Amino acid sequence: MIELKNLVKAFGTRTITKSLNLKVPSGTFMAIIGRSGEGKSVLLKQIIGLIKPDSGNVIIDNEDITTMTKKQREKIFKKCGYVFQFAALLDSLNVLNNIGITLYEQGKKEKEIKPLVLEKIKSVGLRDDTLEKFPDELSGGMKKRVGLARTLMLSPEILIYDEPTTGLDPIAVKLIHELIKKTHKQLNATTIVISHDIAVFDYADTVAMLHEGKIAYTGPTKDIWECDNPYVHQFIRGLSEGPIK
Amino acid sequence: MIVKFINAVGRASMKACDDLGNITLFLYETLITMFTTKPKWRKIFKQINFIGVNSFSVVLLTGSTVGAVLAYHSYTGLHRFGADQWIGSIIFIAMAREFGPVLSSIMVTGRAGSAMTAEIGTMRITEQIDALQTLCIDVKQYLIVPRIIASTIILPFLSIFCSFFGIVAGYVISVIVLDVNSEVYLEAMKAHAVLGDLIHGIIKAIIFGFLLSLIGCYKGYITRGGAKGVGLATTQSVVYANVATFIADYILTSLMS
Repeated sequence: MIELKNLVKAFGTRTITKSLNLKVPSGTFMAIIGRSGEGKSVLLKQIIGLIKPDSGNVIIDNEDITTMTKKQREKIFKKCGYVFQFAALLDSLNVLNNIGITLYEQGKKEKEIKPLVLEKIKSVGLRDDTLEKFPDELSGGMKKRVGLARTLMLSPEILIYDEPTTGLDPIAVKLIHELIKKTHKQLNATTIVISHDIAVFDYADTVAMLHEGKIAYTGPTKDIWECDNPYVHQFIRGLSEGPIK
Repeated sequence: MIVKFINAVGRASMKACDDLGNITLFLYETLITMFTTKPKWRKIFKQINFIGVNSFSVVLLTGSTVGAVLAYHSYTGLHRFGADQWIGSIIFIAMAREFGPVLSSIMVTGRAGSAMTAEIGTMRITEQIDALQTLCIDVKQYLIVPRIIASTIILPFLSIFCSFFGIVAGYVISVIVLDVNSEVYLEAMKAHAVLGDLIHGIIKAIIFGFLLSLIGCYKGYITRGGAKGVGLATTQSVVYANVATFIADYILTSLMS
């Protein structure tokens, strides 16, 4: 279970998260929606410890990571996988080295690593010949799959995706969503996806809406189109008139 | 007007303290990582190749040119007093103690220090460093420590090469162009050149190598603001590393003289 309690984060005079509270039960798939610039990525980065909150608590599996030392946090972060918006592949390494980087860093030999990488790359729907390619030779969709494969090498219990379908064509969007759902089911991982794409509602169990630094709504995705929350109503229909300015 | 001036001075002082604190913290964490984790020798050798081997030609060229120019200037001054025979020892001492380490440091800063900042800075703004952190990879061990160790190891060698080619160029110009007697030149050099001069230069080069890589890595590590931020960080890294080299040069010279 991931629990955020009274989370506050400001950059200079601008407060991004304002005493934010959120619970994501273990094994569920939550989509977080909200306008651009609302601080969704900042929120996710606070969950995985890339950004330290100014105050409040981030509790992962009953352990408050905000009070932990760097070493203690590492144990928790080994449970977490983060898929970046633009994949964040290391551009000086080929796909094999990108996906297997954690194992290479542990000092394992390539003959041990390659079969594992091949298994992961197949699981994300890519061909074997992708292994020798460098990130600049891959399409946006392929990069995101490689990013996911790299994250899966750690067998995470928590999977966090930062706008996984941004910039992709509708077919690639569907494939990525299906892949996220498949991975979620296979690993029984707690999954959080930030998205602007309402198609994610077909895959997620619950939805949370971030507005002005707080969670304005949480609820099951099956009821989202009947939801009477004015923010959600306006956002998912893309209306220019409403409480969101 | 006065209040504005005091505000500006205050802000600049605060920023300087902030920067100094941050780089000290960065240095502390890097040293802890350096001495508590296993060195990544493959990465270190790769960096030695990039920083050292690929800088060899530019260091050779700079050393030779400065050695040759030094021969002309020394000759002009010493010839007035009929002391041409001292050119050899002057060039040797100047190259080994001063120009070798300083020129190598400046050249490596321009070629490799800037590249370190640009590479690490680009990795920062494209979230590659964040990605390493989420994969539980020690960023300092992976990116910073190999560069600092490599630079600290290789700069003394570059300094020795730079000094050597400077001395050779000085000899060639003095003997062939300025018609200084070869035997007199070499005898004077042998008589006054001591191992201490070389050690003096090597110590300087070790410290310059450490400083330029530390600043190069640090500026890259804290880069923000997209492509413009990378450009700015790279420029600052070169300027700061060169300034640090000159300040360290003065301090070390005064301590070792």
